[in-house]
Amino acid sequence: MTDAVAFDHVSRHFGSIRAVDDVSISIAEGSFFAMLGPSGSGKTTCLRLISGFERPTSGRVLIFGEDSGAVPPNRRPVNTVFQDYALFPHLDVRDNVAYGLMVRGEEKARRHAAAEEMLSLVKLDAFGDRKPGQLSGGQRQRVALARALVNRPKVLLLDEPLGALDLKLREAMQDELKALQRSLGITFVFVTHDQGEALSMADRVAVFNEGRIVQVGTPEEIYQRPRTRFVADFVGSANVLSPDICVRAGAGSGWASLRAEAVRLVPPGEGVVQGTVASRRYLGAVSRVHVDIGDAVIAADLAAGTPLPEPGATVGLTWDATALHRMEEA
Amino acid sequence: MHSDRAPLGLKIAAFAGLAFLHLPILLIFAYAFTTEERTYQWPLPGLTLKWFAVTWNRPDVWQALGLSVRVAAISTILALILGTLCAAAVSRARFFGREAVSLLVILPIALPGIITGIALRSAFNIADIPFSTLTIVLGHATFCIVVVYNNAVARFRRLSRSMLEASADLGANGFQTFRHIVLPNIGTSLLAGGMLAFALSFDEVIVTTFTAGQQQTLPIWMLEELVRPRQRPVTNVVAMVVVLVTFLPILGAYYLTRGGSETAGGGK
Repeated sequence: MTDAVAFDHVSRHFGSIRAVDDVSISIAEGSFFAMLGPSGSGKTTCLRLISGFERPTSGRVLIFGEDSGAVPPNRRPVNTVFQDYALFPHLDVRDNVAYGLMVRGEEKARRHAAAEEMLSLVKLDAFGDRKPGQLSGGQRQRVALARALVNRPKVLLLDEPLGALDLKLREAMQDELKALQRSLGITFVFVTHDQGEALSMADRVAVFNEGRIVQVGTPEEIYQRPRTRFVADFVGSANVLSPDICVRAGAGSGWASLRAEAVRLVPPGEGVVQGTVASRRYLGAVSRVHVDIGDAVIAADLAAGTPLPEPGATVGLTWDATALHRMEEA
Repeated sequence: MHSDRAPLGLKIAAFAGLAFLHLPILLIFAYAFTTEERTYQWPLPGLTLKWFAVTWNRPDVWQALGLSVRVAAISTILALILGTLCAAAVSRARFFGREAVSLLVILPIALPGIITGIALRSAFNIADIPFSTLTIVLGHATFCIVVVYNNAVARFRRLSRSMLEASADLGANGFQTFRHIVLPNIGTSLLAGGMLAFALSFDEVIVTTFTAGQQQTLPIWMLEELVRPRQRPVTNVVAMVVVLVTFLPILGAYYLTRGGSETAGGGK
C-alpha cells in the first residue's frame, strides 16, 4: 500500500537554522498521525512541507507516492485546519465552509448544500448565517474543520488544533476528532506540543527535537519504551536514571527510564535504593511522592489508599527489573 | 459641584474659533449672489442669480472643470493601483530596503509642494517631455499615492497571513485570493483613500502650476480670474462647486474609515 505521506530525507533550512534536518517518515493511509515536540522542534515546518507553504531544501515529500516538489498549495489534495482557524471574517459561516468549492467553480446551490452537510457533520447545523465573529472559540474551530473537509482532502492537516480551547472543550474535541477521523477514513496529521493529546488521539506519534525525529511509534511504545532521555523527559512521568544509579541498583550501566507508577515504597533499609521523601502531591487517583536519593530525585506514583510517608521520612525504593527500560542513547 | 457642561467662556471661545475658520467660506458663497461685478463690496448691494447662468455659458470654465476632473480621476486610478501594490509589498513581503521604501513613499506629502513642483518641472525639461495633461497627472500622482498607500497599508497589516494561506490551501489561486479575500477586507480603505486622493488632486495648485503647460485646471483658472476685474462673481460660483466636489468625497472617506476599528482576521 502507498503511504499517504512520505518524507524522504527531507531538510528545510532557513539560512543557518536547520528547522527540519534529514527527516524520513511514512504516514500510512487512514491513520491518525501526531507530530509531537516542543516549540521550534520543526514539527510545524514539517506540516507546512506537506501543505506546500514550505519547500524542502533537500529531499522529497511524497503525497500518495507522487513527488509534490513543485506543486503549489492550491493544487495539493490536502487541506489544513489552521492554528488560529483563519476564518474569513467578511463571509458568513456557510460561505466560509463553501469557499473551497466556490474557487473550484461549483455552482451556488450545490456548494451551499455541501456546506450545510459539513456543518451538520460538525454539529453546527443552525449556524450557517452567522459571521465568524459571532461564534465561540470551539464553534470557530468546528467551522475551520468543516471548511477543510468540504474539499474531501486525502490528508487533513491540523496545526495545534486544540491549542486555543479551554481544558474541558479540548477533551470533548479530542474524542470528536478521533471519531470523525474513524468515520471519514481520511488520514489526519496533527501537530501538537501536548504529549497527552498526542498519546490519546494518535495511532502513531513522531517525537521531534531540534529538527530531527527522535522516535516514531505507537503511543504505547513512546510511553513505555522511550528511545532517548529527551523522549522520556518530554513525554513525562518517567524517571530517567543515570548510568551511576543503574549501577547502584544493580541494573548494569547505561541510561534507563522507569515509570513512576512502577516504583514502590518499602521500609528503610530494604529495596533497591534509599532516600528521603522530598515532597508529596495528591493527584486524585494516585499520589506522587518525590524521593531524594542523593544524586537524583525519583518520582513514585502510589495508588489512592496507600499510606503516604511524611516529607523528611527515610524510605526504601524498589521496582521490578522488567520495569526498567534501557534507552538506546543518552 | 462638578458639571459635565463646559463653562460659558469655553463655549464662546470654541464657537468663535469655528466661526473664524468657516465664516470666510460663507462670505465666498455670499459673493456669488452679488450684483456688483468689479469689486467685492460688503454689504452686498443687491442679490441676483444671474452669475449661475453666466458661469454655465462660459466655455473656459467648462474646459478647466473638465481638465480638473480628468486629472483627478486618472491620478486617483493610478494611485489606487500603485499605492495598493506598494502597500501589499511593504506589509506582506520582506525584502532589502523595505523600510526605506515605506519612508520614501510618504515623503512627497511631507515635502513642500513647491519643491515637488520644481523638481518635476526640471525633470520633465531634462527628459524633454512636453507639458500636457499627462505631466499634471504625474505631478498629482506623487501625493495621491501616499494617501492610498497610507490607508491600504494599515488595513493590509491587519489581514492575517494565515487567512491568505487558508485561501490558497482551499484551492484558490493568487487572483482568486485577491478577489475574494484581500479586496473585501481592504475595499473600504481603498475607497476612502481614493476619495481623499481625488479631493486632493482636484484643488491642487502649487504642483500644478509647475507641471501644467498652457492648460488650466479649475483652481489655476480661479487664481487667474481673480486678478481680472471682469465678472468676478463667476469665480465665486465656481468656488462653491469646488467646495462641494472636494467636501463630499472627504466626508465620505471619513465615514468609511470611522468604522474601521474592527480587525480583519484577528478573530480569537
